[in-house]
Amino acid sequence: MATMPERITLRVNGEQHEFAVGRDLDPSTTLSEFLRQRLGFTGLKIGCDEGACGACTVIMDGKAVLSCMSLAVEADGHDLLTIEGLPNDDPVIEAFAGQCEPGHGTALQCGFCTPGFVMTARALLNANPSPTVEEVVEALSGNLCRCGCYAGIAQAVQHAAEKIAVRGGQL
Amino acid sequence: MSAPYKPRVERKFVGGYRPRIDAAEKAHGRATYADDLTSRRHFPDLLHAKVLRSPYPRARIKRLDTSKAEALAGVKAILTYRDPEVACLKPTNAGWTDAVDTVNYEGMMWRNFRDRRVLGDYACWAGDEVGVAVAAESEQIAEQALRLMEVEWEALPFVLDPREAMQPGAPVIHPEIAPHNVLPWDPVGGPDIFLDKGDVEKGLAEAEVVVAVDSSHDNPTQGALDAWCCLAQWQGDRVTVWSNSYAGDQSRMHMSQMLEMPIHKVRFISHYVGGQFGRGDTGDQPFFLFTALLAKKAGRPVKFKHTRRDSFHDTRQSALYHCEAGARRDGTITSMVFKSIGDTGAHADHSMFALKFVPAEIAEVALAHIPHVRMEAYGVYTDRIPGCMMRGVGNSQFNFAFGLVVDALAEKLGMDPIDLAVKNFGHEWGTVPDKSLVAVLQEGAQRIQWREKRHAPGAGPVYEGTRKRGVGLSFHPGWHAEWQELRRKQVQVSITLHPDCTVTLDAPTVETGTGSNTCNVLGCAEALAFLGIQPEDITWVAAVDTDTSLKDCVQTDSAVSYLQSEVMAVAAQELRRQLLDLAAPVLEAAREELEIADGWIEVQASPGRGISVKELLRRGDLVPLVARVSRRPAGQKTGVPYIASFAEVEVDTATGRTQVLKLVIINDCGTVMYASGAEAQQIGGQCMAVGEALTEELVYDKATGIPLNFNFIDYKIPTMADMPEITPVLLEVWRGAGEYGACGIGEGTLTCTPRAIANAVYNAIGARVDDLPLTPDKVLRALGKI
Repeated sequence: MATMPERITLRVNGEQHEFAVGRDLDPSTTLSEFLRQRLGFTGLKIGCDEGACGACTVIMDGKAVLSCMSLAVEADGHDLLTIEGLPNDDPVIEAFAGQCEPGHGTALQCGFCTPGFVMTARALLNANPSPTVEEVVEALSGNLCRCGCYAGIAQAVQHAAEKIAVRGGQL
Repeated sequence: MSAPYKPRVERKFVGGYRPRIDAAEKAHGRATYADDLTSRRHFPDLLHAKVLRSPYPRARIKRLDTSKAEALAGVKAILTYRDPEVACLKPTNAGWTDAVDTVNYEGMMWRNFRDRRVLGDYACWAGDEVGVAVAAESEQIAEQALRLMEVEWEALPFVLDPREAMQPGAPVIHPEIAPHNVLPWDPVGGPDIFLDKGDVEKGLAEAEVVVAVDSSHDNPTQGALDAWCCLAQWQGDRVTVWSNSYAGDQSRMHMSQMLEMPIHKVRFISHYVGGQFGRGDTGDQPFFLFTALLAKKAGRPVKFKHTRRDSFHDTRQSALYHCEAGARRDGTITSMVFKSIGDTGAHADHSMFALKFVPAEIAEVALAHIPHVRMEAYGVYTDRIPGCMMRGVGNSQFNFAFGLVVDALAEKLGMDPIDLAVKNFGHEWGTVPDKSLVAVLQEGAQRIQWREKRHAPGAGPVYEGTRKRGVGLSFHPGWHAEWQELRRKQVQVSITLHPDCTVTLDAPTVETGTGSNTCNVLGCAEALAFLGIQPEDITWVAAVDTDTSLKDCVQTDSAVSYLQSEVMAVAAQELRRQLLDLAAPVLEAAREELEIADGWIEVQASPGRGISVKELLRRGDLVPLVARVSRRPAGQKTGVPYIASFAEVEVDTATGRTQVLKLVIINDCGTVMYASGAEAQQIGGQCMAVGEALTEELVYDKATGIPLNFNFIDYKIPTMADMPEITPVLLEVWRGAGEYGACGIGEGTLTCTPRAIANAVYNAIGARVDDLPLTPDKVLRALGKI
């Protein structure tokens, strides 16, 4: 059994944070709660707190993770990216915000699930800059949108891939 | 994929395809919701509240000892049913959460069914909030405190099935209201037989073709991702509540009346809400009250938030329908009978709205030309989760029965259901065939290739050895025309024109995702086109704050998208008058001599003698112009438009699995206010509709009465991988009153889909499955395989 570190270091959106376990955070605190309550990254949402909806998705070391299913202490030493860490002209965000192509609706309505979808889509495009429709569906099928904007979201991810290609393939 | 719709009238902004006004804010994760606004960073001294939930489907608390919980470090306040401030609270229900109008306690609907006690000692479903609530330094401590409560329960016999609950000797759930569990007459719904037109017996006896069918609609849940959340904070004798309620004024009225405080001592603030879907209209309001009382007792802000499990707190009401229809051989329907048994669950709330009010309204419109119609309904208490308002209240359940009886009758007559529909249905103020109904059915038939793909039931080709395909349809009258919104009374809007010729639009409504905010801005830009401004020049006030906002127009009935725009059209004229009054002395002309267009005011008789609006405002004293207008919706009976869904499915006859291949969703909107938003509603509604049709189901352990799947893993909401190709079709055929003559569509987008899917399944396999959801076991049973 791994021993609990006394101090943990999280790198969030490029900035280093150090915390004393016990004093600064309870070891049972989930990463999602810690990011929201302690660090103020409220872009990620807690929709189910049981790994079923994807609203709390953040990127850890380049991969999409459900922050409600990790403890904050487990993120020790890892590199985290939340939606607040994305640039203003992020192609995925731009594509989600801009989707209004006739026949597909918008890519968001209430917007609660959107940050999770954006981060999941970003992780996909990071690994696979020009995914097929099937690959998009597969990658995003762990996220729930109760408003049901799946068609608009799928369209936005394709448009994001096109934007990335235009910008030289770099996300 | 579908082509852009063709507007009946070309307009500058209204009806356009464009991003939502909040799209960038939401895509960046910067939109703030109740849980964000009430974090510890904003309220460092906040406490967390938790409430005891009954572990039994029916039970009474015989004894409660809170001493161990009180002794737990971090527990700051405990409130029980014995405390005088709780015990004195009036019984309540959902009768005033409808929020179409802001009623007081006496004016609420369902006055005969006040069956909810705030923190009472009696629980009537496993999950009922009961007995005691705690505020503590953390959620964990509050939960621990609840575990330390010593509760002596008297577990009582329970009943889960409404048909069993109607039998003599069944456990009686609210004896003072319904001695036999069946809700009695009420002033809104009426008697058991609430509609009896013509002579149904005679009509059926004379009919040449008669069918009788039964359908069963289960109770899916709203499933908004943004779980109920509120924070209450007192300053002296005044309380402020931040919440994700969809209603500002109504929430304030509720608290003011229940806690017997003057209205001005209560303030409600709502910002963005992560999905609503009817949840706000379910009687789930007691938590506001005990959160406020805990905050008062503790002298600190208190936050209450549902866990995902807690958020399984209300549902669409399940309903069993028996229908009969009789027709002449030429397809003229002479008689229709609808008899329903609705499972209200533990609380009556708006059950009779779904079971009586809605079907009666449908009879007034869609069945207006059928000479003999009878409707009969029974709302029955059970010890299950309450079933009440959910997107498309009552209409979804009715359509699942109505679309079945139409399909079955058409088959027996040897007619296409489209021909049968067109021959018989319309609305009271029009003739048959109804133009709107014809249009939605023709459009759907063409898009799904109805005539090419439809075959005799079960007689189509077989794919991959075991798979069969079929198509089905269902249609429904809309129910959100302006005349159907009269109960809202005044709708208020304020437009402020700033000295730099930009506009602040105060059209208060809590944005729950419907996109009415964008409709409003487009409507405002359209109405103010004479200023020469763009939608981007308009700031929409996103927060509803009862201290400063006008009356909020609540996101119910899907109608906000056009109701406020109709008021804006009037407010814009008022603003125009103010501008011309301002210009008249400057241009040395009478107001009547002036004309204004594209931001330029001119003396009509002297072209060129004019001033730009910007210059006029700049020369002024920097006081903004304000036009504030209250207006009742127009009452002119314009009839209703129609809605239809067409489905193509593939059923695997070996596994019983149904896959929806394609959906075509057609809404006659009157006027499309915002095309991208309307399409998003059409497409988006299908997530709920497909879930309702195929996978979403609450499962109970029948031996203990305990629900088993109150989570998003076992309660299956469709993901992207589960959704078919969807073609949204917007039409403008019918027209209502007013400047735009639009109607709401958000709820109607999903009303017809479960029935269209079920009819498609029948067309595919030749066996009917009319019990939602259409799970594989039911399909295999229908095929005689199990």
